[in-house]
Amino acid sequence: MTATPQAPVDSRPRKPAAPSAKTLTCSGCGAPLAVRAPGHSLSVACGSCGAVLDAKDPNLQIIASFEKRTKLKPLIPLGTRGRFRGQPFEVIGFLVRQVTIEGETFAWSEYLLFNPFQGFRWLTEYQGHWISAKTASGIPKADPSGGEGAVSYLGATFRHFQMAEAETIYVLGEFPWRVQAGERVVVEDYISPPRILSSEVTPEERTWSIGEHVDGEQVWKAFKLSGSPPPREGVGVAEPSPYAPQARTMRWLFLAFLAAAFVLNLLFGLMAQNRVVYSKQFQYVRGQGSPAVVTEPFELTGRRSNVLVEIATTVTNQWAYFTLALIDEATGQALDFGREVAFYAGVEDGESWTEGSRNDSVYLSSVPSGRYYLLISPETDAAGLGYTLRIRRDVPRTMHFFVALGLLAILPLWFWFRKAHFEYRRWRESDHPWVESGGSDEDDD
Amino acid sequence: MMTKLYAVFGALVLLALSGAHYAGWSPSDATEVKGVPKSVRDNPGSYRSSYGSGRHFAGGK
Repeated sequence: MTATPQAPVDSRPRKPAAPSAKTLTCSGCGAPLAVRAPGHSLSVACGSCGAVLDAKDPNLQIIASFEKRTKLKPLIPLGTRGRFRGQPFEVIGFLVRQVTIEGETFAWSEYLLFNPFQGFRWLTEYQGHWISAKTASGIPKADPSGGEGAVSYLGATFRHFQMAEAETIYVLGEFPWRVQAGERVVVEDYISPPRILSSEVTPEERTWSIGEHVDGEQVWKAFKLSGSPPPREGVGVAEPSPYAPQARTMRWLFLAFLAAAFVLNLLFGLMAQNRVVYSKQFQYVRGQGSPAVVTEPFELTGRRSNVLVEIATTVTNQWAYFTLALIDEATGQALDFGREVAFYAGVEDGESWTEGSRNDSVYLSSVPSGRYYLLISPETDAAGLGYTLRIRRDVPRTMHFFVALGLLAILPLWFWFRKAHFEYRRWRESDHPWVESGGSDEDDD
Repeated sequence: MMTKLYAVFGALVLLALSGAHYAGWSPSDATEVKGVPKSVRDNPGSYRSSYGSGRHFAGGK
């Protein structure tokens, strides 16, 4: 599916012609026919009988015929004039094409707009998504940097989206080519939202058109249509992602916040006292008096800050539980807490194992300065217990950084998920879906 | 809109991070007790902690 341009594009400037319409009579059914682009149109389709007439033939010879059992009504009636993208245009033709993919038929509408000075424009509509297109002014070139089948056009890379054989199933109005019933062309779409490049390949030629997503409201306003445009279903092939404009800002904000959090963490870490205010070894022998002891008083200085209490024991295949209280000598306020250490080791089936740890530590939060002592009341299943107690003041914590990182990542992750989901929904309609679908095709939004 | 919301949210997170660092905040399950008598210093066995004994690991294979 490499997009190799084969034929030059018809980009010749068109000669201006007077914007007058000719009224004719259908040679198939006698119904009146209006030719709105005389001199430009090669065929005219009669809305009454489905006959396609040769617009260049004075006798309006029938050149093709469509089944007209089902009459389709264009959303923009033929003959409607409006100012579209700053230029006056008149809707002169309407056709419906369809493709069949894996047994499923997809049909879309195309409206031909005409301005004698600007030439032709197309407005295509599929499931409420509109694209304004015109003949490309150059030939796209293969661009391997954009992935499989990508092309570049006017400096932008367009990724291959879909290739299908389209069949014209309904026509109305006039066209600058000789419309054939059941006309088939191979259509290939390449996208760089909001723009789309389309090629149509017939046995005779390959033509390129460049299009851009248009809001239905914009079309309705341009042609002063009553009511509202059909609601959009799913994601349009060239629909611009609502997330794309914010993605770069979001990424920079996240990186800036991350850097700021890192610097803050570093600064507070460097400024922290991280000072050992007390350290002592204790020995407890069961049955020799009360196990509860108190430490000598120690000073906690500076602003409110944390206190780290570390306990190192010698337990092996034993447990020890410490009831602790950090008591402010002056105020009698205490922080009660308990810590448990247990360490077990052995050999089972020839393999050694260990469980637990002989050491433990705990942070006490936001302790004011003052003169403190620690009350320790150990319990153990051992006959005796040796343990070392160490108390540190104002210890830097990296935990805060990681908590901040987690919080800072929530919104960007959600944003990037939504952005990716939007693209997933766009590309699942393509030849290159992100995930090969094997089941339901329901839209989950 | 989303980026503005994130800018505000991110600023608040950084503010909270600074506050937590400055105040030495840490998640802790220590219980605050008021009015511990000075006599506890001389008789530590008399202190009745809210973290009494009873929660012991009975691990090992």
